[in-house]
Amino acid sequence: MKGANSPGHRVIIDWLAQTGRLPFDFQAQTWQHIINNKNGLVNAPTGCGKTYSVFLGSIIQFINQHPQQYLTKKNNGLQLLWITPLRALAKDIARAMTEVIESLGMAWKVGIRNGDTELKERAQQKKQMPEVLIITPESLHLLLAQKNYPDIFKSLRIIAVDEWHELMGSKRGVQTELAIARVVNAQFQLTGKWSLVWGISATIGNLEEAKEVLLHPLKRLYTLRNNTDAGNDHSVIVKANLHKQTQIESIFPDEIEKYPWAGHLGIKLVEKVLPIIYNSRTTLVFINTRGMTELWYQSILAAAPDLAGAVALHHGSIEQELRLWVEENLHTGRLKCVVCTASLDLGVDFRPVETVIQVGSPKGVARFLQRAGRSGHSPDAVSKIYFLPTHSLELVEAAALKQAVEENFIESKPPMILCFDVLIQYLCTIAISDGFYADSTFEEVCSTFCFAAMQREEFEGILSHITAGGKALHQYDEYKKVEIMDGDLFKINSRRIAMQHRMHIGTIVSDAMLKVKFMSGGYIGVIEEWFISRLEPGDSFTIAGRNLELVMIKDMTVLVKKSTAKKSIIPSWQGGRMSLSSNMGKKLRAALSLSHKKNNIPELNILKPLFKLQNLLSHVPKEDELLIEHIETKDGFHLFVYPFEGRLVHEAMAAILAWRISQITPITFSFAMNDYGFELLSDQPIPLDDSNVYELFSEEHLFEDIQRSVNSTEMAKRKFRDIAVIGGLIFQGYPGEYKKARHLQSSASLLFKVFEEYEPNNILLKQAYREVFDQQMEETRLRDMLQRIQRSKVVITVPQQLTPFCFPLKVDSMRENVSSEKLEDRVKRMQQQLKD
Amino acid sequence: MASFIQHTILQNDFILHHNRTVFWEQEKLLILSDLHLGKTGHFRKSGIAVPAAIMKEDMQRFIAAIQFFKPQEVVIVGDLFHSVENKEHELFLKWRNDLKYVPMRLVKGNHDIVPDKWYKKAGIIIEEKQWTHHQFHFVHQPEHIPENIDDADAYYFSGHLHPAISIKGLGKQSLRFPCFYFTGQYCVLPAFGKFTGTYRVEPLKNEQAFAIVENSVIPCS
Repeated sequence: MKGANSPGHRVIIDWLAQTGRLPFDFQAQTWQHIINNKNGLVNAPTGCGKTYSVFLGSIIQFINQHPQQYLTKKNNGLQLLWITPLRALAKDIARAMTEVIESLGMAWKVGIRNGDTELKERAQQKKQMPEVLIITPESLHLLLAQKNYPDIFKSLRIIAVDEWHELMGSKRGVQTELAIARVVNAQFQLTGKWSLVWGISATIGNLEEAKEVLLHPLKRLYTLRNNTDAGNDHSVIVKANLHKQTQIESIFPDEIEKYPWAGHLGIKLVEKVLPIIYNSRTTLVFINTRGMTELWYQSILAAAPDLAGAVALHHGSIEQELRLWVEENLHTGRLKCVVCTASLDLGVDFRPVETVIQVGSPKGVARFLQRAGRSGHSPDAVSKIYFLPTHSLELVEAAALKQAVEENFIESKPPMILCFDVLIQYLCTIAISDGFYADSTFEEVCSTFCFAAMQREEFEGILSHITAGGKALHQYDEYKKVEIMDGDLFKINSRRIAMQHRMHIGTIVSDAMLKVKFMSGGYIGVIEEWFISRLEPGDSFTIAGRNLELVMIKDMTVLVKKSTAKKSIIPSWQGGRMSLSSNMGKKLRAALSLSHKKNNIPELNILKPLFKLQNLLSHVPKEDELLIEHIETKDGFHLFVYPFEGRLVHEAMAAILAWRISQITPITFSFAMNDYGFELLSDQPIPLDDSNVYELFSEEHLFEDIQRSVNSTEMAKRKFRDIAVIGGLIFQGYPGEYKKARHLQSSASLLFKVFEEYEPNNILLKQAYREVFDQQMEETRLRDMLQRIQRSKVVITVPQQLTPFCFPLKVDSMRENVSSEKLEDRVKRMQQQLKD
Repeated sequence: MASFIQHTILQNDFILHHNRTVFWEQEKLLILSDLHLGKTGHFRKSGIAVPAAIMKEDMQRFIAAIQFFKPQEVVIVGDLFHSVENKEHELFLKWRNDLKYVPMRLVKGNHDIVPDKWYKKAGIIIEEKQWTHHQFHFVHQPEHIPENIDDADAYYFSGHLHPAISIKGLGKQSLRFPCFYFTGQYCVLPAFGKFTGTYRVEPLKNEQAFAIVENSVIPCS
């Protein structure tokens, strides 16, 4: 290998040798490709030196360029831009990189740029950029909103995108695509050259596509330079091929008969968790929602008071200082246990972590493996993960997960397409800094994967939206955002609007958040506005492990005092609601099928009493069967259908089925869904039986039925929440001008309503419907499911009472407005009714 | 289903109309609340692209209501305008000029923050907190209505809440509509402007709500 003898290479090999280390193959390969000016994707799990692959490649590149002065050369300008999805990761990565640089004796600096970066440091960076800048996609967009931003990137050699698998399927991934396109094109315009682009990704089902999406903007530049489409020759995938062993163990309740069927948080099993915590150096307890973490944290402390001070809480709504403290103490091993959400899914290793406990369904194979990987760090160590079910049926998921992990049956992450809300935000961003021209920006935006299929008319529609604000009807309209200047430069001139927009960039995924503070002044964290707006002064709620009493909401801050109330409401953050992946669904159906035969799967065997009851009352579906239950209660007539395809698909299917049945006879439904199935509920008998069931699940006219049923549901309305925020319709307010800010506030649901009525062709409203079509009502997945049903035997039963299968559905559907304590009481009562 | 409902309070007759207004028959008074005119303009001026058509249609409904009832006076119980002045206020003035023969009275709400001289220019009589006509009182916020008033000789009209009622059916069906809300002492009017949120009220046993369901008014409770 030519590069193996390069000066940089030798420096790094020697440096590693000093501590008795050798590079892994995938690291050396990445270095080589970087030396050869290739772009690519490194596929490596967390905890085996993936950071070193691209980062040391960048160092080697620099040494090769300055073999004599690499130690002393200072202030070289930005060399490596490191994009990371979570700001919590930035500090650890910076620390790891700084250690290497200091140990090598180089003069490079590492900087961090995200929402937590202080003003002073930002100003310093403006004067002199560090060689390495670690940044979130949002903060990168904020950089693009600065005047003369292209100068920052003149010296840049490598753009690295960490955890690309995590970003790709989301709108932040689209933000990343747009930013990369802008940076490399700005470089090309200034210098005729551009950076290499490298992604780092855990294993997903569509790695090749992940690479294509990330590197898509480069194709156009290679073509411009060489007059050929040579993009693919410039890119590679480097695989780590380290097979990490994962050991999965379920935590079983002592008496499965008494374990709840639904509506619980698994806290009954807290006693079983304690020995695991005691016996391992540090344990991470992963919980799906922030609200549940609060409850778990308190339950562990209540069960084991001696752990006080050694147990901590970590989630996205906790104040930064506390979060950093937790991370710090995870590194040093001073914490025995941390209860966390996805906030600790990613990132560098906490070496003391020996054990991971997953509470409730992880919803997907990839996520489960990622979490398991947080334990047992040396590449040959075994990752140990416990699965704790929150209700009985979840144990079937554990059995399914084991099978999926054994087969390495990992999900794909479909990239997002044509997210016009993100594009609107981005165009406003570059209109703030230097402004943009329509033609060149159109070409550049189309060079990204997300917007490759965008038509010029669509782009013109977006330009008209940001300049004229949709249809302006009368001469009294004063809409003002982006203005068209001389020479057709699109520019935002108003400082107020620019400031307002900058504040929006950071809020791409969150709901309107309010700060929570003590009356006496201490800052506690943030909370979603819709939750707090349901409380009255005097009500108690829990955040960051503390019981607080709401005093008042003032100037967009929630003022609280300590609460002495025994019961308090736990906020249910909406972000935590994920849907089961189709991979998991498939394995789940297989696992259920196995329950009919003799097997040695512990999870299925312990569930025998439950299966027996289900079989007695109704039926346990085999792999080639679809179960449908007709049940009548005092609420009305229920139809339960169990395709095991995940909540999102079920919602779509429920809407279509409801639409189709309503064509038979005039009827109204409400419906509910979970990951196992869905429920249609009506005040009159539901006309579905052996004679028409295959017809109702037919794939004929599917497309037309999707279109008709989507309008009648809440799906688009829900999508519109995010879109309204990203597209700049929801105003978050700016500091110091509370009164004016209040007059600019409106809810996403009100906006949805008025757009439906007054401007049905609005670009953002149409985006909401398109997202429902593309993501949720995805025709191919629905068609696959319907074809599967057509091949299956449909089993229709008429149980005289609620069954174990329908139970979680029934409970979930009433979850909306009921607090956790009351819910438990209700569930108890319902279960009692069932046994009587 | 009726497009309006007649409701009697203290021997006076009131028409509750689906266009979100109340007409006092004996006195020929048109009562409405929470128009929030200029709200779209306020948003759009700040770069938030809400549909400009809302304001225009609100105004058209306002005019239609006046032409329909031919009132001797219009009483607005607060929040005629949403915020500080913008060009949509000019549009209002232009229209007001065409209908200047109709006296108009505004009991100021918390959103009515344009200077008093502006109302003068628009030919609107302003009342800072309350206006009283016979045994009927008009205020903006129901919170400001004194407690322990004698039902027999006083009744209040108010707004501010933007009341809505949710109607529940079997099978967990539930729908939500703007409503007129009557207690023994006072009435809360629905918000007239369409670009407004709603607040769900739950009438007690001795109270009444009238839901506005498209082009009809339906008694609930």
